[in-house]
This record gives sequence, structure tokens and C-alpha cells, in this order.
Amino acid sequence: MIITKNISKNFGPLQALSDVSFEINKGEIVGFLGLNGAGKTTLMRILTSFLPASSGTVLIDGDDVAKHSLVTRQKIGYLPETPPLYLNMTVKDYLKFAAEIKGIPAKKRQRQYDNVMAECQLEHMASKIIGTLSKGYKQRVGIAQAIIHEPKLLILDEPTSGLDPIQNRQVRNLIKNLKDQRTVIISTHILSEIEHIAQRVLMIKAGEIIIDESLNSLIRSHNLDEPHNKKSDDKSGKGCDERSSQNKKMNLEDIFILHHSNQKSDQKNNQASDNIDSTLVNHHG
Amino acid sequence: MDKAYFIAKKELMTYFKSPIAYITLVLSISIFNAFFFLIIDQNREVSLRDVFHVMEFMFLFLVPILTMRLFSEEKANGTMEFLMTAPVTNIAIVLGKYLGALVFFSILLSLTLIYFVIIELFGSPDRLTIVSGYIGVWLEGAFFIAVGMMTSSWTSNQIVAAMASYVILFLLYFLVNFTQYFSGAAENIIQYMSTLTHLEHFIIGVITAGDLAYYLSGIFICIIFTYLSIENRLFK
Repeated sequence: MIITKNISKNFGPLQALSDVSFEINKGEIVGFLGLNGAGKTTLMRILTSFLPASSGTVLIDGDDVAKHSLVTRQKIGYLPETPPLYLNMTVKDYLKFAAEIKGIPAKKRQRQYDNVMAECQLEHMASKIIGTLSKGYKQRVGIAQAIIHEPKLLILDEPTSGLDPIQNRQVRNLIKNLKDQRTVIISTHILSEIEHIAQRVLMIKAGEIIIDESLNSLIRSHNLDEPHNKKSDDKSGKGCDERSSQNKKMNLEDIFILHHSNQKSDQKNNQASDNIDSTLVNHHG
Repeated sequence: MDKAYFIAKKELMTYFKSPIAYITLVLSISIFNAFFFLIIDQNREVSLRDVFHVMEFMFLFLVPILTMRLFSEEKANGTMEFLMTAPVTNIAIVLGKYLGALVFFSILLSLTLIYFVIIELFGSPDRLTIVSGYIGVWLEGAFFIAVGMMTSSWTSNQIVAAMASYVILFLLYFLVNFTQYFSGAAENIIQYMSTLTHLEHFIIGVITAGDLAYYLSGIFICIIFTYLSIENRLFK
């Protein structure tokens, strides 16, 4: 479905992405993980052809996004981090406009509109002005515009960011229902979300992919990684004892923190394990 | 090009869903009505010549208010990402937005056609001169809209977009006053660049290829610059 080869992106002197290559198969649900500024959004923008790559190629279903961007855009549904909504339009007018510019034939437009309204549970909001909706509903409208043309690939950038726990669960359930039909790329800071939704994890750090692994094997490999666990047990002190007593297995959040704490440990050689442990202590404390 | 039509339709709908459209319509028509009454009352002639001059001057102020949001608002709200990741060409986006603003402007101008009807009822105006005057004002408005759209594509700040339009439009409008400081080719170029010179010909009933070329090429150049501005967004 997606093949990226040696993607790099520079913004002036700043290198946002460096030699990023990966493949995503049809039907896969992939989570992009990384700190703020790691390059997740830039990578998503390149996949959607909103930004051109400085070098490298992206193929979606065999079509190069740089050369055949209209073809590839037709296959992609994209929800940016800030839902791209016209706040003075009604939900109905906005989604009908989305259906028109996404090239849905006139005969199919009403059916597609009805489908997404039902799928995103927006029927009772059709005549509401988007600007008056709650954040959760705005997010649903954003998802509705992304799926209205039945894209093969769905790219969601922080779809639950800033939502309260109830809205978060509603949007997560909505995404869970969507994933059965298409390839999904999701970027989020809420790592438990990835654990619930994704099958595979791409961890990005400073514009480079540091982990590209299925979620199960990632967790399994880190829990089999004796030295890490031993280090934690040996030096973590009280906090880590708590962690050990509560749950000896590392979850995705622990793995994420471990890999991002290594940066510090590279810089401060002798304090490496202390850093990791204290991060874990803070997390579990 | 059906995508350009959908975008134009949405733009027009956006105008009528915002108070700016109604304020602009009411304000401009009220000012035009007042001047129409004063001019007819003082001049006692069945002509819209001076009314066209008032319209031209008023559009210098009004058009940037109509166009400032075209791209700036999309950039500020993040909806530019929605448009540019949809299967729509950049030229369709630019043309759609331009057409939406132009249709709104045409509606505004068409409301002044009542003046034509009124002077028709009370005298025998030179109809062709009035038609030519309307064509001139419409072309000038179309040119102003293209300038406003171009400046709107440069920034995400609507005020900055409007200010940039004012600078360009006022420069084009008052340029003719500087011809006295130049001679020869420079004088001719400055005279040709000024919008006043060209509209004057339409108002007296003269339509020349040169005047048409001025407006059409101005519109074309601004549309191209808008397109390039959109194409080269961020750090390409």
C-alpha cells in the first residue's frame, strides 16, 4: 500500500526527516510514535502530498505522490492535528462540500453523506454550525470528512488530542470501527491508544525511524531483554520496586520512555540507568 | 473545473453567512445611493459618469475587505491543509476562490442597476455609454479582487492581507498623478499602469483593446502570482 524510500525533508537548515524508509501493507494499522518535533506530522504531510519531500520517493498503491498527487490524494483520507473545519458552516454543508471536492460522483454523494453521518453518529448534528460544536464532535466531523470518499488509506494525526476521557473513548471507538475496512496510520501521544488500535509501531526520533516492529514482538522483545529489567530492578530504588511489584512487564509507554531516555544516557554516560529508572519511577509514581 | 465551481459556490455561501457581506452590501449601496442622489440633483444630467467615479473610489476601500479572508483565513484555520490534500488542483482552488469573490462583487454591482432604470424613467440617457461604464467598473472590480486575492495568499493574517491590497491599489489609483514628474516612455508607462486612465475611457463610452488588455492581463498576472504563492507554500 505504502512504500517510502529514503525520505528526507529539510526546512532551511533544519533536517526534519532523515532517510526514512518503510513499507506498510494493505490493511495494516500502524502507529507513529515520537516526541513533539520528532517528524511525525512532517512525514504524514509528505504522505498526503501537502508537503513535498526534499529527497526520496513515496509510492501509494504504486503511484508516486510527487508525480501523481491527484491520484494518490483520491486514495487518502487525512485528519490533520487541528481538524480542518469551516467553523461558520453547518455540519451538513461542510460534509457535502467535502464530498464534492473529493470527487464523489453526484449520484453517490447523498449515500456517502448518509453513511458517514451514521458512522460518526452525527445525524442529530447535521444542521448545527460547526463552530458551536464541542471538541469531540468537531473531531468526529473531521473524521467524517476524511472517510467520506471511502479512502483506502486513512491518516490520522493526533485524533484524540485535547479530548476529555469520554470524548476520547468515543473517538477511539469510532477509529476502531473504521480500521476494519482500510489501512490506517495513526499518530498519537496517548500510547495506550496505540496498544488498543495498532498492530505495528514506527517510532520516530529526531527525524529517523528507530523502531519499526509489530506491537506484539516489540513488547515481547523488550520484556525478554534481561539487562534492561535487571538494570531497573537493581538501581531504580523505591519507585521501581513499586513498578516491579505492580507489573513486571514493560508496556508500550515504558518502551517509549526507555528509548527516548537513551538520548540523555548517551550524553551522560555514567548516569544512564539512573535516568531510565527515574523516568520509570516518575511514570509509575 | 467542476471543483473550481464547488469552491466558488462554497465561497459565495461563506460570504452570505458572515456579517461582513451584509455590512459591505448595506454600506456600499447606502453610499452609492447618497452620491447618486447628490450627483443627479446637482448636475441635472442623465448620466452615471460621476457615479462611476464614486464607485471606483469606494471599491478601492471595499474590495480588500471582501478579499482579505480568501486565503488568509484558510491558512489561519488550518483548512488550507484540507483543500490541498483533497484531489483538487491548485489552479482550481485559486480560480474557485476568485470566481466566488467575483460573483459576490457582481451581485453588489448589479444592485446599482436601479440607477440606470431611474434615469431611464426621467430622461433619455446614452445607454451605450452607461453599459460601457458598467463594463469598465466591473472589470476594474475584477482586477481589484485579483489583487486582493493575491495579497491574501501571502499571509495568514487578514489585516496584513488587506493592508497589502490597499498599498497596491492606492498606488495603481494615484499613479497617474505622478506623470508630471516624468517624460517620454516613463510617462507613458506610468499612465498605462494607472487604473484611472483606463476606467475613464469606459466611462465616456470608449472601449479599446488596450484598456481591455490592461484589465485582463492584470487579472491574469495576479491569478498566476496567487497560484505560484500557493504552489511554493512553506519551504518547498
